[in-house]
Amino acid sequence: MKLKKVLALTLAAAMTLSLAACGGSDDGGAAEAPAAADDTGADETEAPAADDAADDGAEAEAPAAASGLTYASINLGEDYKDLTTTIKFIHHKTDREEDGTIPDLISKFNEVYPGITVETEGITDYAEDSLLRLSAGDWGDVMFIPAIDAAELPTYFVPYGTVDEMSEYVNFADQWKDAAGNCYGIGYMGNAQGVLYNKKVFADAGVTELPKTPDEFIAALQAIKDNTDAIPLYTNYAAGWTMGGAWDGYLGAITNGDETWLNQKFIHEAEPFKDHGDGTGPYALYKILYDATAQGLIEDDYTTTDWEGCKPMINNGEIGAMVLGSWAVAQMKAAGDNPDDIGYMPFPITVNGQQYATAGPDYCYGINANASDDNKAAAMVFVKWMVEESGWCDLEGGYPISKTAPTSFVFDGVNVVNNVTSLPGEEDIMNELNSESELSFNQGGDAKVQRIVEAAATGAETYEDIMADWTAAWNAAQEECGVEVLY
Amino acid sequence: MAAQANTAGSKKGFMQWARSRKGQQAIIIVAFMIIPLLLLFTFTYLPFGEMVGFSFYKMKYVGKRTFVGWKNYASVFSRKDCFGALKLSLYYMGGSVVQLALALYLATVLSFKVKGGNIFKGFMFFPYLINGIAIGFIFKFFYTRGFVFDTVLQWCGFQLDNLPYWLKDQSINNISLVGTSVWRYFGQNMVLFIGAIMSVDSELYEAAMLDGANRFEQFRYIILPSIKTIVTLNVILSITGSLSAFEPPYVITSGANGTGTYFVVMNEIAHTQQKVGLASAMAVVLLLIIFAATILQKLFFKYVFRSAEDEDFGAAKKREKQLARYAARKAGR
Repeated sequence: MKLKKVLALTLAAAMTLSLAACGGSDDGGAAEAPAAADDTGADETEAPAADDAADDGAEAEAPAAASGLTYASINLGEDYKDLTTTIKFIHHKTDREEDGTIPDLISKFNEVYPGITVETEGITDYAEDSLLRLSAGDWGDVMFIPAIDAAELPTYFVPYGTVDEMSEYVNFADQWKDAAGNCYGIGYMGNAQGVLYNKKVFADAGVTELPKTPDEFIAALQAIKDNTDAIPLYTNYAAGWTMGGAWDGYLGAITNGDETWLNQKFIHEAEPFKDHGDGTGPYALYKILYDATAQGLIEDDYTTTDWEGCKPMINNGEIGAMVLGSWAVAQMKAAGDNPDDIGYMPFPITVNGQQYATAGPDYCYGINANASDDNKAAAMVFVKWMVEESGWCDLEGGYPISKTAPTSFVFDGVNVVNNVTSLPGEEDIMNELNSESELSFNQGGDAKVQRIVEAAATGAETYEDIMADWTAAWNAAQEECGVEVLY
Repeated sequence: MAAQANTAGSKKGFMQWARSRKGQQAIIIVAFMIIPLLLLFTFTYLPFGEMVGFSFYKMKYVGKRTFVGWKNYASVFSRKDCFGALKLSLYYMGGSVVQLALALYLATVLSFKVKGGNIFKGFMFFPYLINGIAIGFIFKFFYTRGFVFDTVLQWCGFQLDNLPYWLKDQSINNISLVGTSVWRYFGQNMVLFIGAIMSVDSELYEAAMLDGANRFEQFRYIILPSIKTIVTLNVILSITGSLSAFEPPYVITSGANGTGTYFVVMNEIAHTQQKVGLASAMAVVLLLIIFAATILQKLFFKYVFRSAEDEDFGAAKKREKQLARYAARKAGR
């Protein structure tokens, strides 16, 4: 009898397991639906979490609006001086927490507002954890807004004012806006796309004016090679992401002055990599790398470059320039004794006499819609002080957020723009073409940029060959994915 | 009625069978096997089957899939980078020959009485204990211009200007990478060989020595035949390992500059380009290649090591025949 039971159990277990296994293999087909949904509505998964908080949010929002609390209405150093409360600020800058920068800023804040105690919490895995904290609700009063849908902003955060109003005070006020045109987030620093360089090396090489075109840039690199011991352009080839990840970032408005090109026209263009003959467009962008390599203006042994090692090198004047976003400035400054030598210049491409740069905010301050009125006021005061008085943005070497705060970021005469997003219904086409053509622009396509360096160094391929190859791959992908060629 | 009786009969029969010694055996075998078999099925064969399925689709990790039949396989064979990458495996195979020869030589030397033998064994086995990623980073610096390797060579009298760029020069960078793999694995092979050699009866050496065999002859006629199983195993593992080389090129050069092996290309296609179907087809093709390579090697070794056994076998047959003939003659007389 006992045996029978055992047998039955084993059989049952075997059957359930094999059933589960069958179910598993069926998933292959069934998974399509949710996966497809994922593609179109980027952050739909957060919707259920939003529902819980929605009710509380709606109640809490009304008094805030009624009290007329806006960013513009606060006079720093005058209003709310007698407010006594404790607010909590959660952020991702754990390194700045540890090196004492944030505590320092807060003690300066407390000199003006002794009543407002600011507690801080640095979170290592911020992108993930902040979303969890946000949906759980109990996170504090000020946070850096994680990746949520714009429609959910009013549920979680207090508006600073309308975008139009805010644009008088800060850059990128439209980063987090709702349908009604309210601004919910203010960046703590901005990131711009240009070229990192060592001012001293450029001066020693006799380059007095910053290069504005590819030819001028190559000439400047040549001058560095001739007149100094520094490596003119450090490619960081071996790290990989510093190739595709860095160079692709300049596609779009910087190379041709057209804000709509990158996300709207590129996918429909028949010959995106053709030579325009005037030093503009993607052709001119990657040609800088090819020419610099071919003329021996990069590091001697590019296959053994070291990302951590390049930081002190540029700081000490052993490197002339690196093609990286402005986010890298702070790291390069911190890596040695010559932070003042690190400079940032607009990308050396000029379109019809005008240089362009793209810029956007890093993480943005958001204020908890469910906090008490006192805390909301204190949080708003804190954010305004951080943006306008703290100097944190400049300390990080970031593109300025506040329009009034002093900044050392000089982009004179440069038109700072933002590449506009894809047309509705065409959001996925870029991904498909990237995958099909295996060029992967802005999506980890490091190999294609490394290929330029290899080709130039070994003479295996001419630049025209590579561009023709890219065009062929792009056209084949357009055909394969059924994308209409319009330009 | 009859049917009922029949089922009752079979039920009874089954119970009887289950109680019998044979039935008990079968049940116990099934009961013990079912868990490992289920695990094996769920975590090996099922995912593998899924992957074979993927190889017939054009798909990304997310998003919709389209059935494309054999198209992915066609592109595996028509694309230059897929099969071109297999050529790099020749470097790794060459490396594995060097590696095995070195391991066999050192194992033979170390299995006799050598001063400080254990220390040498330890030192040479040590690289195998280091994580492959860490080894990658070590060698990245090792090969950097003017760093460790160049410095050491300069001590030996080489001029830096005459030395090649170990990772930049496309004619030798694959050899540099293979070097790291040899450095890492030869110690492990050596320890396996030593283990096998230890099991050889030491009286055989003595007897051989009395017969006037030198060290090489001892190796050739005693050691090698005794450890042929482990030699075969190591060769097969090294060759299949060369076909699927991944860590050195991935970590040291990230597959750039002409060092992208089949696996690195597959990784790039699957993860950066998100062509999951094509990458799956590549994986299936590689599996078939590895099967083919293994079978060929088996046949090869059967041929190489045939001597001892087959000759004995033939001799025995001959002797038997002779005996039979002798017996027949005797009987006839």
